[in-house]
Amino acid sequence: MVYTPYDFNESVRHRTEYIEERLRDGSPVAGISYDGGVLLLTLRRTQRKIFEIYDRLMFAGLGNQSDLEIIRVGAIDFAHQEGYARSPDDVTIQRVVGFAISPGVKRAFGDVLNAPFVVRALFAEMGRKPEDDLFYTLNYDGEFVSLNWAAAVAGTPEAEEQMVRQLVPEDASGVPDLHTAIRRALRAWAVGRLWAIDAHLEEEGAESLSEERIETFLREQMEELQVEAAILDRFTKRERKFRLLKDEEIQLALSASAGA
Amino acid sequence: MGERLNANTSGDFMMLLRSRGLWREGETIPAEPVQASLREAHGTTVIALKYREGVLNVGDRRATSANAIMYDRAEKILPLDDYTLIAIAGSYARAMEIVRYLQHSFKYYARTQLQEMSLEGKLAEVSRALASNLSMALQGIGMFIPVVSAYDLDRGEGRIFFYDGLGARFESVEFGAAGSGSERIRGVFDYIIKTRGPFHEMTLEEALRESLLLLDIAADLDSATAGIEKVLPIARAVTAEGIQEITEEQLAEIKKSLKL
Repeated sequence: MVYTPYDFNESVRHRTEYIEERLRDGSPVAGISYDGGVLLLTLRRTQRKIFEIYDRLMFAGLGNQSDLEIIRVGAIDFAHQEGYARSPDDVTIQRVVGFAISPGVKRAFGDVLNAPFVVRALFAEMGRKPEDDLFYTLNYDGEFVSLNWAAAVAGTPEAEEQMVRQLVPEDASGVPDLHTAIRRALRAWAVGRLWAIDAHLEEEGAESLSEERIETFLREQMEELQVEAAILDRFTKRERKFRLLKDEEIQLALSASAGA
Repeated sequence: MGERLNANTSGDFMMLLRSRGLWREGETIPAEPVQASLREAHGTTVIALKYREGVLNVGDRRATSANAIMYDRAEKILPLDDYTLIAIAGSYARAMEIVRYLQHSFKYYARTQLQEMSLEGKLAEVSRALASNLSMALQGIGMFIPVVSAYDLDRGEGRIFFYDGLGARFESVEFGAAGSGSERIRGVFDYIIKTRGPFHEMTLEEALRESLLLLDIAADLDSATAGIEKVLPIARAVTAEGIQEITEEQLAEIKKSLKL
């Protein structure tokens, strides 16, 4: 039997279908810059999802837990090795994602004899100012995209687009504060999740998704799941900039929303 | 990335560095004892005192090389993490490299294992780093002595540990000191305790006052110690709230009140 280019294309198509089918049901992750740092937010059942990578780097994703774990540890290894051998300033998101992680993910995807990574990952890097913050989204095929201000990973690419629209609304002005960022991220999460699981939305367009539906859905999901949110704090004097937010802090942001 | 299943899963940073050939051990060791012409920079006097809220560390800023003064802005008190300070005397080059190693080692463990390294674990890590320095120390270079101050969150108190060059660790009740100047002022510590009471009952201001006096006396007796006259020393404290930087203004204020 001869392995032809046609077989390669076919196998890539099969892999893509297989991976996307499994990713569709994943819980989205929203990332957004705010005045005092960077926020990543998601909803989860039991497993922790947002992780510190380095002093100014964090990461979250959806997909297969052990695949995410491999990426997480790979990124931490690279970051610490570089931070020690050179300097913490040399540990940047583009080196970690672009050189340490992406090629391996790409290789696994292209190697038909091995299992591909079933993941979409979101990396966030905090800069000195919000406009210097950077987000990288990494796809299961090794492709990555860099974004400023906000980014998202979700069950489908369309869902991700819809989330970014929620994170950076057209009518918004200036850099949000933490409370606003949390509220936008939660809303974006609900929209992203709905887009991924409800095939009708794509046909009917964004207008068909009513305010009421988003809010009811989010409320239901928040009762069933747990909100996980973490920040890199721009102004803390502590060595560790990364911190998981407490439930009270998230509730405070929500109660402050009355009217806003 | 498939080989990751056999990877370093214990959060051991030294193992990671060794596996990547980044741990400098042996490669620079000369076969013969080093000639006096290699004049490495040495840090001199550092002091750690307990006080009411935690532990205060103060160090003069001189670095010497044989009988030459190399530098008068050396930093010999460094944070290892948010609850641990290290004060170093001896070979500046090796000390700085090991401090960088320890900082990364603690962070690497916390980030990969998703829990903080225990205080006991951190102290053992310091011993291990010192022991790895032995072959160089035997050649007459690279020897340094650290004093580690930590705030023990479980016990709710500051603790001081001192080491020998091989890595033996001892816990100190009231104070710790290292460097050429420290030996000459040993009796002064006891005199202060016997006349003014134990350090751990002092306020930060009182402890700062005593530590500046101690440095001043050390400078009188030891040519390698700069004291406090020309350049203010460096001072940091570790408390339940983490690392506190003592400002130059605070130090200048206290220096003014001393009868030197």
